[in-house]
Amino acid sequence: MPKMESMCYTNFEVMNVQDRGRITVSVPFIESENVSKDFNGQRVLQNVSFSIDEGEVVGLLGPNGSGKTTMIRLLNGVINPSSGKMRVGDYNPEKNADDIRSMSGILTDGAGLYQEMTGLENLVFFSKLYKAYDLKRIKLLLEEFGLAEAQYKNVGKYSTGMKRRLGMIKAILHKPKLLFLDEPTNGLDPEGIQMVLKYIKALNQQEGTTVLLCSHILHQLEHVCSRYLFLQQGQIIESGTLKELEKKRVNIIELKVETGLPVSAGEFGFPAAAAGENVYRFTLPDRSDITPLIQRIAAKAPVYHVEIENRDLESLYFQIRGGKNE
Amino acid sequence: MNKQMVWAIAEKDIRGITKNSQVWIGMILLPVLFAVLVPIGFILVIKYMPSLSPEMEQMVNKIISGIGNEEMKQELMSLPSMTHQMIFVVVNYLLGSIFLMIPCLNAMMIALNSFVGEKERGTLETLLFSPVTLKELFVGKILSAFIPAMGISLLSFLLFGTITTILTYPMFDEFIFPNSNWLVMIFWLIPIITIFTILVNILVSARAKGFQEAQQIGGIVVLPIIGLFIGQATGLLIISPVMLFAIGAVLLIANAGILKLITKYNDRNMLFTKQI
Repeated sequence: MPKMESMCYTNFEVMNVQDRGRITVSVPFIESENVSKDFNGQRVLQNVSFSIDEGEVVGLLGPNGSGKTTMIRLLNGVINPSSGKMRVGDYNPEKNADDIRSMSGILTDGAGLYQEMTGLENLVFFSKLYKAYDLKRIKLLLEEFGLAEAQYKNVGKYSTGMKRRLGMIKAILHKPKLLFLDEPTNGLDPEGIQMVLKYIKALNQQEGTTVLLCSHILHQLEHVCSRYLFLQQGQIIESGTLKELEKKRVNIIELKVETGLPVSAGEFGFPAAAAGENVYRFTLPDRSDITPLIQRIAAKAPVYHVEIENRDLESLYFQIRGGKNE
Repeated sequence: MNKQMVWAIAEKDIRGITKNSQVWIGMILLPVLFAVLVPIGFILVIKYMPSLSPEMEQMVNKIISGIGNEEMKQELMSLPSMTHQMIFVVVNYLLGSIFLMIPCLNAMMIALNSFVGEKERGTLETLLFSPVTLKELFVGKILSAFIPAMGISLLSFLLFGTITTILTYPMFDEFIFPNSNWLVMIFWLIPIITIFTILVNILVSARAKGFQEAQQIGGIVVLPIIGLFIGQATGLLIISPVMLFAIGAVLLIANAGILKLITKYNDRNMLFTKQI
């Protein structure tokens, strides 16, 4: 299939990409250009444009009903856009979606497993659908995801977390080039979350798998995603790496400082407020103010912990969403 | 078309049937009723009834006079008694038409569940997200209904044959079963009617949101069979090999038409949108 012709993007960069140390001139792996989707007269997506490079792990963030799942469905060609163009690899989701689905793995919100079949039966069935039946690999993955013992139990008897892990195995059975993960950590316990996130990261680093990940639980994504797309009411309202977003969005610095003794926070020349026992929150105009401030505090009391509070993904998320709303 | 994918779907669904007691009990109940209890009941009642009602005699005479094949008619007339004639008619005409309920109802039950079942379990989404083509998906679903429905029909045929032979051979001193009606039915009409029922119900199943909705529309397929039975009983419509062959031929053409409809109106988008 010919690649989609000259797509021009206004709101994102990408032509010269620094990809793990190599400078490459790359054509994005996934492209969406002005994609809109209506359902029963209601607009669910509005002129969505973005691109994702091969080997990237991109977080698609947004509140419920913002159109994240719709975007994944469109890229897989199970629904067609009302207008706009898309490309995944060399394929157009509207025409060659079977090829896209062959090279992609997907974990949907409901996981879509057969309750009356055992975990193993489910995986054997799906491996055949993906033309990748390999019992050894299935057993290995069951082992890795802690489901070896439960493999002969009906999935209906699995806990939510076990179903999620099985769904994750289902998604990666055929070693996909591209992974769509819709809320992959939903219902998992802390160990499960760690396991799945680690696996996604390892898969990306070792196999170069491109990942598009939707989630609400933002603090989990920071260590996995290289870039973020913010979707709100069917529109992309912001995109970039954490650093880029911080640069763009963080104008003042909220610095949390924990000290060993009570200090009079006002005396350091910046607006400050108490945020707990011997904990103070300073508002600084620039990051260059941090070192002098800490030096001055340290002269008076031991400093145990210093943290910029408003630059984590969660703060940025609310800032971006808030900025759009106001 | 990838055979492995098709078989994976068919195998999964057939296993699903054996695991769902509601479905398989229903599937076994039909042969027990139409291939065992009904023939035993009919034959014994006729055999041991002290006197035959004039209405029944009338029905038998009507059927005999309606038989187009002269040879068959003569053979029937030459039977020693009215009881013999009646049993012959019941076994080869009346029960033949009602036997069609077995493949039809079974195929209907499975085929109706084919897509609606996936929708209700939330698994259709996963199937549509997989690289299986719609053709492979439909063929898999058709096979998953055809294999068990046809298998049960064949077993029922053997069961019916054994029971009627045990009950009638001592009376007739010859095999009255199967006559040509039965042979055309089992090797021509039943496979075609099974596919017909499956196609209609798969078409309905793919479009319906829930099982009940699908059942109401899909159940209509059974009506012509009840019509055929009533036709027999009233002597209005007497089945003959030619007629059964013709019904089969018409349904075969209808099958081709429905297949076209299925390919035309069921794209992935439609199937996906119908389930959300």
